[in-house]
Amino acid sequence: MKTLSYIVLLLFFIGCAKEVKPWEKETLAKSTMEDAGGNALSKQYEEHIYFSKEASKGGGGVAGGGCGCN
Amino acid sequence: MQLRLSWCAATLLVATAMQAEDYVSVQVLQYNENDNRVSVTAPSIMINKDFGTDYTLNASFVADAVSGASPTYYDASSGASAYARNKNVNVSDIKYDNITFSEKRIAGGALFTSRFANRDELRVGANGSSEDDFDSGSGSLEYMHWLDSSKNSAITLGGSYQYNEITARCVDRVGCDASSGASEVKTSTAINVQLGVSHNINPQSYVDIAAFYIADDGYLTDSYLNVVRNNDGITADVVGEKRPDTRSAYGGILKYVNAITDRTTLHLSYRYYWDDWSIRSHTVDSDLYYELGSDWTFKLGLRNYRQSAADFYNSSDNFFSNELYASSDYRLSDFSAWTYKSNVDYKVTKEFSMNLSANYYDQTTGLKATYFMTGFRYNF
Repeated sequence: MKTLSYIVLLLFFIGCAKEVKPWEKETLAKSTMEDAGGNALSKQYEEHIYFSKEASKGGGGVAGGGCGCN
Repeated sequence: MQLRLSWCAATLLVATAMQAEDYVSVQVLQYNENDNRVSVTAPSIMINKDFGTDYTLNASFVADAVSGASPTYYDASSGASAYARNKNVNVSDIKYDNITFSEKRIAGGALFTSRFANRDELRVGANGSSEDDFDSGSGSLEYMHWLDSSKNSAITLGGSYQYNEITARCVDRVGCDASSGASEVKTSTAINVQLGVSHNINPQSYVDIAAFYIADDGYLTDSYLNVVRNNDGITADVVGEKRPDTRSAYGGILKYVNAITDRTTLHLSYRYYWDDWSIRSHTVDSDLYYELGSDWTFKLGLRNYRQSAADFYNSSDNFFSNELYASSDYRLSDFSAWTYKSNVDYKVTKEFSMNLSANYYDQTTGLKATYFMTGFRYNF
């Protein structure tokens, strides 16, 4: 049920969407729109702390790895 | 290995187009837990370089210095080693306390992105890390395909393979004296597959949704941790913990980013995770950015995490007998955690910026940690 709710939410967002023209993407290209405000290293530190202290992982993409932590 | 605190190199959110630019970024992490447990100092560097408009190389390197203590059961009567395991130990000699350690680690990674005529992207990555008791190498492949001509929607499919060599304390050998320092080499592998879709909702917001699958196989036990078995009230066995040799995990993540005003941006995300160790978790994360003038950016963040326990976990010294799998690692317990995040970024010049981040992590297990990050970024 919860999963369904999220799918409905996503469809709502997409349903409300309009085509964004290339000249309208200035805000989308701002660093504050990027993950961790564009600071990839600090994001990696945080993800690794969580990975080290919690039992869950995944969702951050497949590029990367190399953790000597399992 | 011991604290599972090392490095994960470049991670990218699916299908979120990144600004192409050349830069070098340096960050230093200082992480400290309460009760003089783990302390980590970790400097890192990342270099991102475009080669024309079709190729980008991103490389990173980190060195960790980890020291402190982590809690486990041990036979206090042995004296020689706080990790000591023995059979028929007097119950009064069994302690659960922090065990001191120190270790160093180096790790690096590279991600090469190639763009095609239709601007689809192929990303190839490689990573490695090395420490005294753990060596790891991995490779990844990811393809992003634009779903529309205006490039507002994209789908990304990726996979990675990781191979680990673990120098394990002699957990599995009968009669092995763990306090003597004897060890054996074990291996494990991890396969990670992720499928994601990204969509620009309007000129101020976008959404990412992804599903992932992770398969761990091999030696997944932490050879530094002990459990107590066969406690009859007088004597008990202090032996190494044991986890299953496989773990299949599944999950989904939904992320929404919205520029609420010209100066304020909100990030919201939710992740659901489950695996065949009976662990379920929910993660809700939020970050709010505020730009003051053209030079300052402030961030406040709040994250909530909660998980259920693994089916072979128990913290008691009077629970396990002859179960195949047993662990008293608090990280496999039922708990929740809050993270309070803050960061300030100051643009000194158009090319050079500095940042300082202060954060607090609070687990219901009693673990509390503060971590600071500072560094700079230079665009060239």
